Amino acid sequence: MTTFLQELVVGISTGAIYALIALGYTMVYGIIELINFAHGDIFMIGTLVAIVIMNAFGVNANTQLAGFPLVGIMLVTCIGTMLACAVLGLVIERVAYRPLRNAPRLAPLITAIGVSLILEDAGKLWKGVSIVSFPQIFPLINYSIGPITINSVNILVLVVSVVLMIALQLLVTRTRIGRAMRAVAQDREAAALMGVNVDFVISFTFFIGAALAGAAGFIYGLQYGNTFFYIGFQLGLIAFTAAVLGGIGNIVGAMLGGLVVGIIQSLASLIPGSVLPHGGAAWSEAIIFAILVLILVFRPSGLLGQQTPEKV
Amino acid sequence: MSLARNAPALLPGGNIRRLLAKWIIALIIPLLVFTFWAGEAIINTVVSPATAPSAVPTDVGSLIQSALFAAVVYLVVIALAGYVVATDSGRDRFWKTWLDVAIFALVPLILIIFAGQFAGENALILGLALSVVVWGIYFLIRNLIQRRLPAASKPSKQDISPVADLPPSVVRQRAVLGSFWFAVALDVIWLVIDLVYFFSGQIGLTILIWVIVRTLLLPILGYAMGRFAEAYIMWRANRAMAAKGTNGTGGAKNGQKEAINANPGSSNGLARARARIMNDLPLRSAGAQRFMLTLLIVFLLFYPAIDPFLFGSGLDGRLSGYGDAGYYVILALGLNIVVGFAGLLDLGYVAFFAIGSYVWGFVGSSQFTVITGIQTNLHVVSWLFWPMLIVTALIAAFWGVLLGAPTLRLRGDYLAIVTLGFGEIVPVVFLEMDKYTNGSNGIVGVQPPAFPGANWNTSTPYYYLILALIVLVIFANLRLRDSRLGRAWVAIREDEIAAASSGVNLVNTKLFAFAAGAFFSGLAGMYHAAKLGVVSPDNFSFGDSVIYLAMVVIGGIGSIPGVIVGALVVYSLNEFLLPNLDAAMNTPGSVLYPFHQAITSVIPGFAFENIRNLIFGVLLIIIMLFRPEGLIPSARRRRELHREEQDEVEIGALDVNPGAPGFESEIHVE
Amino acid sequence: MSVADGQDMQNGTRPPLLELENVTKQFGGLVAVKDLNLQVWPREIVSIIGPNGAGKTTVFNLITGIYVPTSGDIRLEGKSIKGLKPEQIVAAGITRTFQNIRLFNNMTVLENVLVGQHTQLKASVLGSLFRTPQVMQEEAEARKRAIELLSFFGRSLVERQDEYVINLSYADKRRVEIARALGANPRLLLLDEPTAGMNEAETLEAVRYIRRLRDELHLTILLIEHKLAVTMGMSDRIAVLDYGRKIAEGLPDEIRRNERVIAAYLGKAAKADEELSES
Repeated sequence: MTTFLQELVVGISTGAIYALIALGYTMVYGIIELINFAHGDIFMIGTLVAIVIMNAFGVNANTQLAGFPLVGIMLVTCIGTMLACAVLGLVIERVAYRPLRNAPRLAPLITAIGVSLILEDAGKLWKGVSIVSFPQIFPLINYSIGPITINSVNILVLVVSVVLMIALQLLVTRTRIGRAMRAVAQDREAAALMGVNVDFVISFTFFIGAALAGAAGFIYGLQYGNTFFYIGFQLGLIAFTAAVLGGIGNIVGAMLGGLVVGIIQSLASLIPGSVLPHGGAAWSEAIIFAILVLILVFRPSGLLGQQTPEKV
Repeated sequence: MSLARNAPALLPGGNIRRLLAKWIIALIIPLLVFTFWAGEAIINTVVSPATAPSAVPTDVGSLIQSALFAAVVYLVVIALAGYVVATDSGRDRFWKTWLDVAIFALVPLILIIFAGQFAGENALILGLALSVVVWGIYFLIRNLIQRRLPAASKPSKQDISPVADLPPSVVRQRAVLGSFWFAVALDVIWLVIDLVYFFSGQIGLTILIWVIVRTLLLPILGYAMGRFAEAYIMWRANRAMAAKGTNGTGGAKNGQKEAINANPGSSNGLARARARIMNDLPLRSAGAQRFMLTLLIVFLLFYPAIDPFLFGSGLDGRLSGYGDAGYYVILALGLNIVVGFAGLLDLGYVAFFAIGSYVWGFVGSSQFTVITGIQTNLHVVSWLFWPMLIVTALIAAFWGVLLGAPTLRLRGDYLAIVTLGFGEIVPVVFLEMDKYTNGSNGIVGVQPPAFPGANWNTSTPYYYLILALIVLVIFANLRLRDSRLGRAWVAIREDEIAAASSGVNLVNTKLFAFAAGAFFSGLAGMYHAAKLGVVSPDNFSFGDSVIYLAMVVIGGIGSIPGVIVGALVVYSLNEFLLPNLDAAMNTPGSVLYPFHQAITSVIPGFAFENIRNLIFGVLLIIIMLFRPEGLIPSARRRRELHREEQDEVEIGALDVNPGAPGFESEIHVE
Repeated sequence: MSVADGQDMQNGTRPPLLELENVTKQFGGLVAVKDLNLQVWPREIVSIIGPNGAGKTTVFNLITGIYVPTSGDIRLEGKSIKGLKPEQIVAAGITRTFQNIRLFNNMTVLENVLVGQHTQLKASVLGSLFRTPQVMQEEAEARKRAIELLSFFGRSLVERQDEYVINLSYADKRRVEIARALGANPRLLLLDEPTAGMNEAETLEAVRYIRRLRDELHLTILLIEHKLAVTMGMSDRIAVLDYGRKIAEGLPDEIRRNERVIAAYLGKAAKADEELSES
């Protein structure tokens, strides 16, 4: 039971990161009906950018920080990473997706794959093919609540994620640009007719989505202490499953989906080797993927999405 | 029938002389280059095996193959000379033709020969790769120039004369003159050069006797091939007229009018017109392309025998590389069915390749005993390869259906992600179920096939095996594409709802597409397992699925010749160009070494191997942005993606540009 | 088809070809069609009319299996076809055209019609691979039949059989779509606004060939039409929908004078205008 609860905690923590990434997928899909294959890799680039920023401040894997410097560097790194990723997202949209907005469906999918490949190799070139260590500058303090242990990094992850998600929700529901985003997502032509600058709104959506991925990258690094050029792809698939589970195009759904997927993944590691060879952990990707298939077959609109039949 | 009585005058009149000059010069230069590179050596070896260059086998089988090859090459080129002279409308400038021949025949020959001096192992691939670059530059420049030039005036309809309406004797005269004089020119030049060789002691008496025989023989062959070309031209023209005659009234006049008035949007009408009307660019006509296809076929068929003449030693290594390129081709053709014909974006294609490999890995090695406990005699098992080809492919097809079933109602993006997931998961499954699959150690000792007389420790049987498989797969693809099922695939790709409302069973049609694609992938997987002798999870990763997709996209989605070329391009890039660039960069003496220092000081992790995905990514994006129909588009796709460019077709340039699917059947609309 | 025949049929002497019984279709909160009862007898031309959004195309989608009725039944010659998939309904004998023409743009005229014959051809995959004599024969006959169908509209489409449909004029595209629908040898043909976007001359021609479809090919036709003049002139019977409900049904003359129909189309204000002008 203890392990179960502990895994639950881990799952929620991981799930928060997935949720942040899933938001990017769901927002982009909602607005231009495209799965941005490269989104996971933007997250990965985010982790690398964070390392570079911290290194610029002289922070490396062994640095200990506290108080003002700690908060300052964390803020700078986080915002810097988010900005860098946001710009990257903008560039990608402009170069690889916008010219193909009226092309057959296949075309932007293929360029998305192309961008993903480029980013992966960029990561490889930048920081090499092996695991890169990430300075875990946030002080690790363990708290025990009954039988389970939560540490400070978990809490940080949760706090950052929740803050960002709330900010996003406010942005989308309470601001003018947010309204414009929802309008374009529902009916692009009508929104244009109402005077919305559709190109700008779409770019803005990419900007925000990528920024969130950047933030996710930063806190991922803080939690796990390392990164790797391929994690974009791996986590991207998982985050996408989360977005679909929650209901693609639905922001709250992405948050919910992220948590659920995170929890399922950690609980899966409890499956013993007698049931699945080498234990559940080795199969976690397969399990998540199986979930994706099941959702898409039985309830493609996800938990919170709406069924929209095609107008014939 | 004596030649003197029935032959048309062999002395050409004025206007024919111009044509003759043009074509003889155009065709003879590449042929001479080929002759003195390898052609002469091949023939001389057949005549006198003692004079064979080193590394050339002189057993009867090889000699027969060499003889056949040489005979076909020379006869075909002589016949081609007659064909083009007879079908040339005479309107085109000389230099256009000479430039075409220079760029498309001469340049590759020279580059391949050149590459042979420096990189004997991979001369052919390197030469072709360099040629592709040259062609690319040529097309760019040509397009730029064409935009600047004033539009060429189109010939009036009165000036167009259909071949079928010419009196047969005129056609015969021109064809015979063309072939005859070409043969004579070849004869004279060859004789002179060989005499020089003889007097400088480089060739012996036996060869000299052959030279004399050849000198007497060539003009006769020229005449004969001229008659052959004439017969071929009339056959094509009459067949085209007959095909049109099913709905209209017959008669040459009507046919001519119909052909000329053929609507540009009607590809069949245009195709028939082309077959019957005198051509401005005869080398690019479908008829001429048949000749070139014949050359390609004999080249492929007899390659192992003539390779030593071309590149010296190292045949086995080269053939092994071609064998690998070959299974890439099959994978591209299979994926083309799913992505190109049916429009379903499958990103997990490697899964079926893995299944194919593992099935033969299980059956064709001692792993079978490990799994089932039944002892097998591995030599007997090798014979099972042939029936297992079908069985394995069917098993892969079955999994294609299974894995495709959940995706049926999904739209393109979701379908892509789900198939991507499968492509990730299946290799993982094979890795983790190590009780059966031996996990990361893989299965070793996988048996090659068994065939009487073939030594499967060399690469030659694998080369022929893959050639045979490719022919079968192309054949199956063409048949499928032009069938009821093929139409259903295009229909669901175009508009699913309309397709369902026309009676197409969406579920079955899509599942069939997956099954067909998986079938071919399984074939390729099994070939790969047998050839490599080892099946290990390292061979299969998601990255491979991307490479297969790149083959199809770069080559031309939905286009059969396109994806074949795409497969070869991607294979060369992947297996050959990148590793060799790396090797070159790391060798101190090479041209690239200084760059190596410069780049690694900035980017420590740099290696061409490491940026393979980056290069593919960039290629995919560039292709999608600037040429989405790929290198060699299918006719449909060209129409779909460049609708604005559908200008009036100039009747003066009735034939498609080189590289178009000219050898696909003209009767069936693409 | 005379008015008397129509009366005979409705008096139950012959069973209807198509019958909708209390068909309701609900999308979440929106009721698109409510309690629709409709019968169509063989060789009738029946029109469904009504203001925009009345649910007319939804009825077509229900009949052809694209939607499944939330409740009620649809029967073809007495047998329920509710819940069948679109391709099964085609095989059963009902085909349709679309309001916004849905041809296969990157196929030729002939190929489009050949796809229409998909259910009539039996070629198996193996047969296609090996080009067995049966398959080749079937293909040749299918092509002949396709040309026959195209020639229903005259020579012009036959001569352009190898052209890609995207190059055709609007009116030609409509004709190809009908030819494609005919490829399945249907008994009932659903035409969704077949004269939409046509000028007067083209409309007249369309009316003519629709009549010929019934007279020469013995088809039963159910059509959705907006041009009232067309409907009145061509239909044996008319059903009027408004907000998903049938508000009137009967002979053209009856419908023309039906107050509810006029109100639905023109609104109460117009009715008031009429009263005003009559007084």
